[in-house]
Amino acid sequence: MTSEIEYILSKIETDSPIHAKKLKKNFAFFDEPYYDFTTPFLKKYLALLASENKTLDFAVACYLNMIADMNSETVAFFRTGKYSSTTFSEVNERVYANPEIMEYYMHGLLLSQFLWKHHYDSFRFFYENLPKYVDNTQNYLEIGAGHGLYLNKALSVFDEKTPFTVVDISQTSIDLARKFNTNNKVAFVVKDIFDFGDSDTFDFICMGEVLEHVEEPLKLLQKLRKMLTSGGTLFLTTPTNAPAIDHLYLFNNVQEIRDLITEAGFSIESEMEFPSEQASPEKIEKYKIAVLYGAFLKVK
Amino acid sequence: MKELLAQVNEIFIDVLDNEDIVLSETTSANDVDEWDSLSHIQLIVAIERHFKIRFTSKEIQSWNNIGEMLTSIQDKLNQN
Repeated sequence: MTSEIEYILSKIETDSPIHAKKLKKNFAFFDEPYYDFTTPFLKKYLALLASENKTLDFAVACYLNMIADMNSETVAFFRTGKYSSTTFSEVNERVYANPEIMEYYMHGLLLSQFLWKHHYDSFRFFYENLPKYVDNTQNYLEIGAGHGLYLNKALSVFDEKTPFTVVDISQTSIDLARKFNTNNKVAFVVKDIFDFGDSDTFDFICMGEVLEHVEEPLKLLQKLRKMLTSGGTLFLTTPTNAPAIDHLYLFNNVQEIRDLITEAGFSIESEMEFPSEQASPEKIEKYKIAVLYGAFLKVK
Repeated sequence: MKELLAQVNEIFIDVLDNEDIVLSETTSANDVDEWDSLSHIQLIVAIERHFKIRFTSKEIQSWNNIGEMLTSIQDKLNQN
């Protein structure tokens, strides 16, 4: 284990021993490829923190703020069976237009990429399958790149001549992705995906954990279907039962995600499910434990 | 507090599915294997339903041991 990760875990254990128990269970599963991926990414992150005169303690405090929000949302979810927000304008006012919340949320999510097994596993599913799509990809689009982790990997896998576009509705997110990826062949665009025209088509579209943030995920998938070239591929991930301050659309189970994918005109080429806790399928269903779903899709 | 402790103990046994759990006011998550971040939420919801109370977000994060949890429950019951 790297000294930075050890430090992060010990700090979390001091401030939130109950949460640290879950993380320790995750770390029992992490293997060498995990550390191969984490070490350089964490180095980049530490440099970014240092450039803003921030420390790892700041990052851990952000992460624990995010966990506190998630716990409150989860309690509310168990009380009502619903996510607390259902419209974009609610979330926009509460989260996206609130710089203080956005700051800790973005840093918290970034740490979760190292600390949560299901985040790492879904990333691994992505990069292990990515080479299959190199030959058929002349251009690449990522929607909602966040910290740019997937983008970084795709840049290293696809041909150097492949143009990359990253689009996000949030300037804050685009700024973060840009900080992590200084490669000048990437076009970073702040734009609503629905403002892309019919001639804007792509061979590969990557959209990690976006569907749950929109009011009408079917419309978004239908739009992406139009934006894919024939034979193109959409990679997506989205969770079931994952209450969070900015999640709008609730998938109660994985089948609901599959049904939406089919309704939007896609077929599933390969898929994986990544439970957020080490639990039996019965327990996952009974306690509505979040499951992250990932799939490579083709146009039907 | 003793009666409250007995009721909370029953809830822990039920939610964590472990009949051997014996709580005291000093018991913390470190003493109970199954008491982790996920079961913590389930315990909160089960306690809320049992006592017909609602905790605030701050309270949910603040307990370090069963004694502090019992104090919160007692405070809520006194308010009702």
